[in-house]
Amino acid sequence: MLKPILLVEDNPKDVELSLVALSRSQLANDVVVVRDGVEAMDYLRCAGGFASRPQGNPAVVLLDLKLPRVDGLQVLEQIKGDPDLQAIPVVVLTASREEKDLLRSYKNGVNAYVVKPVSFKAFITAIQELGAFWALLNEPPPGSFRAKR
Amino acid sequence: MAFTESQWASGPELATCEREPIHAPGTIQPHGFLLALDLPGLSVSRASANVAGWLDGPVAGVLGRPVESVLGEAVAGRLREALADGSIERSPVTLSAARVAAGAGGRAFEVIAHRSGGSVIVELEPTPEDEAELSRRLHPLVRSFLARIEREPTAVAACQAASAEIRRITGVDRVLVYQFGEDWHGRVIAEDRNDVLPSYLGLKFPATDIPEQARALYRANRIRLIPDAGYEPVPILAADRAAAAGPLDLSFSTLRSVSPLHVEYMRNMGTGSSMSISILLDGELWGLISLHNREPHLVPFEVRTACDFLGQVLAIQVGAKLQKAEFDHRIGRQAAINRLLAAMSRADDFVAGLVAEPEDLLAVAEAAGAAIYNDGHCFRVGATPGEAEVDAIVDWLAAENRGNVVATESLAGAMPGADGDAFKDAASGLLAASISQLHRGYLLWFRPEVLRTESWGGDPRKNAPAGDGRIHPRRSFEAWKETVRLKSAPWRPSEVEAASDLGKAILEIVLRRAEERAQLSAELERSNRELEAFSYSVSHDLRAPFRHIIGYAELLREEEEGRLGPESRRYLATIIESAQFAGTLVDNLLAFSRMGRTSIHPVPINMDSLTREVVRELQVEVDASRTIDWRIGELPEVEGDLMMLRLAMTNLISNAIKYTRKVDRAVIEVEGSAQGGEAVFHVRDNGIGFDMRHVDKLFGVFQRLHRMEEFEGTGIGLANVRRIMSRHGGRAWGRGEPNRGATFSIALPKHLPGGKSAENPEAP
Repeated sequence: MLKPILLVEDNPKDVELSLVALSRSQLANDVVVVRDGVEAMDYLRCAGGFASRPQGNPAVVLLDLKLPRVDGLQVLEQIKGDPDLQAIPVVVLTASREEKDLLRSYKNGVNAYVVKPVSFKAFITAIQELGAFWALLNEPPPGSFRAKR
Repeated sequence: MAFTESQWASGPELATCEREPIHAPGTIQPHGFLLALDLPGLSVSRASANVAGWLDGPVAGVLGRPVESVLGEAVAGRLREALADGSIERSPVTLSAARVAAGAGGRAFEVIAHRSGGSVIVELEPTPEDEAELSRRLHPLVRSFLARIEREPTAVAACQAASAEIRRITGVDRVLVYQFGEDWHGRVIAEDRNDVLPSYLGLKFPATDIPEQARALYRANRIRLIPDAGYEPVPILAADRAAAAGPLDLSFSTLRSVSPLHVEYMRNMGTGSSMSISILLDGELWGLISLHNREPHLVPFEVRTACDFLGQVLAIQVGAKLQKAEFDHRIGRQAAINRLLAAMSRADDFVAGLVAEPEDLLAVAEAAGAAIYNDGHCFRVGATPGEAEVDAIVDWLAAENRGNVVATESLAGAMPGADGDAFKDAASGLLAASISQLHRGYLLWFRPEVLRTESWGGDPRKNAPAGDGRIHPRRSFEAWKETVRLKSAPWRPSEVEAASDLGKAILEIVLRRAEERAQLSAELERSNRELEAFSYSVSHDLRAPFRHIIGYAELLREEEEGRLGPESRRYLATIIESAQFAGTLVDNLLAFSRMGRTSIHPVPINMDSLTREVVRELQVEVDASRTIDWRIGELPEVEGDLMMLRLAMTNLISNAIKYTRKVDRAVIEVEGSAQGGEAVFHVRDNGIGFDMRHVDKLFGVFQRLHRMEEFEGTGIGLANVRRIMSRHGGRAWGRGEPNRGATFSIALPKHLPGGKSAENPEAP
């Protein structure tokens, strides 16, 4: 079974548009949507509401930066600071072009940084390419995935 | 048996002058006679040897006798009365009612009495025959003098008036007014004379000419009289018993004999007779009125009393006028300070304000030169020593750390190594005020050596008759010159105070400015932070709705494509286009804001290849129907942020492409050159141009000169160019003419300014 894609996004419209984009990418992966940083970490650590989910890390985390409670950069920091999670590819998908966000993201080991384009067509293209690259083309890192299989 | 009490050592050296026992010479001058009476019996214990010439019997017959039998009952009665009511004190009083006939010739005497130790000293001077007439004459003279002297504007003028008046009532050849200066050096400040004696006006003399004991006597006894410099001193004789009690203290005696040195001085000056009246201010000797006559001349007692009165009136007036002058002087200094403060508040920094008003800066301390030493920089005004000397003075001041104000009229004496010509010509006197508590900051005022500034109005030495004596005005002047070598005119209290005030004011200004700056930068930092937070939230929250509008509109279009009429499709397209434009606007605004905040990473940039690259990229988007004639010259290399300079060039060139759209044959030139410390680039087109009246608008954010339908764009391109240039310490400007094209230029410094703008992004 394909590993799911974890979409961390608090804005429901962005969630919907992102899902539309992903659905058009012909990916077979499930998409798990969580709405803030706390939920994201719960999912990744199989804690809280996700305590009973099937084991295994997602294929990729699509991470918005501006999130309620725990923000995206903190989530990124926790993922990359956790030996069990740090191999998961994280793509920051954000509206921010701010240099400091970019710098902090790369400092924390982000795998890609994508600014959400204003144009819908460009957005669809970006999401499709991301999904294709990280969920399909990119050879997942050795670790929990194969061990769990 | 009688004997003389003491004798002068013959021919003392000048230096011994201070040690001479002037107050108890044991002799008197012969123009009167003296009796010392024991208290309380009032028997004669001592008498001057010339008693015989004035009274009936010989001296021996006088000694030991009661006063009644020597001076008569009337005088004795007055004496006892005066003693009883306490009117006879240390200073002599005239027993006016005792002006009685005494002695063989039945002559009238002025009887002057004062206490000295356990004795009453009675001095008798013959009263002139025309005494009553004299009195009548003096009275109105004195009265008019009072009115006149009050009107004189200055102390010197008052002294001048007094010397004329005193010469009038005494009839002497010359009246001088001496003023003592610091350290008791003196000078002649006023003079009235006839042609008999030479002028001494302006003469300076050293303190040793009038030594301290002499000054003490002048303080104690305001009138001093030497009717005949060639007199034979009259010894005071005593009975054995009194002699054992020691010499008689003649400090307050009016007949007291004179130091032989003084007599010699008089002879050398060619004066046969002299008199002096002390001018006392607050009990201190301020000056002397000195009367000289070539021939022996006795100023009668009545006239001397009038002179004493005039002297006291003069002293009061001099005191008042000096106070007024000091007050006026103070006001003048304060006015100069006020003008300087105004200038400093107008100027960018206080130094610029001070140098803008050099005359006021000098006027603060009535100095010939001034320097401002601040933060290692030295600014000089007027006559000052060289920069190296000023540096040395500042080093010395900093090492000495003598407080906020240092004033010296002899820098040579105070500061080691400051006795060379390099200092003395401009800086014999130094007044310094500290203007910083942290680093070396001083205001310095300079005065030249006083010998360079004295104006003589006729050298008095030429007029002074040559004499062989050791003491002589000519020698005095030479001696005085020695004492003022390497010295400037002294700094007045008001000047020192003014210097201190100005120093403090500057200290306050500097502190206040520093505080203001600190506050401003704190405010800037805060507003910068706020703006950053604002931009951050704008970039997330404002962009999102536009993305959503576009996204959902696109979805709607896809869903309903076939079912929508042409009008509805156009509406939908407009919605998407508008949202897209709004999104671009937000993106551009954010980019502009980022341009002011993100750090610059300077690298060497080949502008030639950068420009050709930009042209190539932009050319792709140009309508295929257009032809553009590109003329790109050789462009110099620069140093700067690659991303930013690329954006700047892109903005300029895309503008040129845009605004030549309606021209049949567009010509776009890019040229550049390195000139001086900067590289300048011009992008010239033959497009629609602009009116120079609007040139300032062009570089503003969202400023447009054309309608949206004519030329698309958000109106932020040139604002970005200007900001990029300012971040690089460069400039951006434009020239144009409607329908005749425009030229936009940028200039970049060869080297980025101190890396400062790179580290501290400017506040947008």
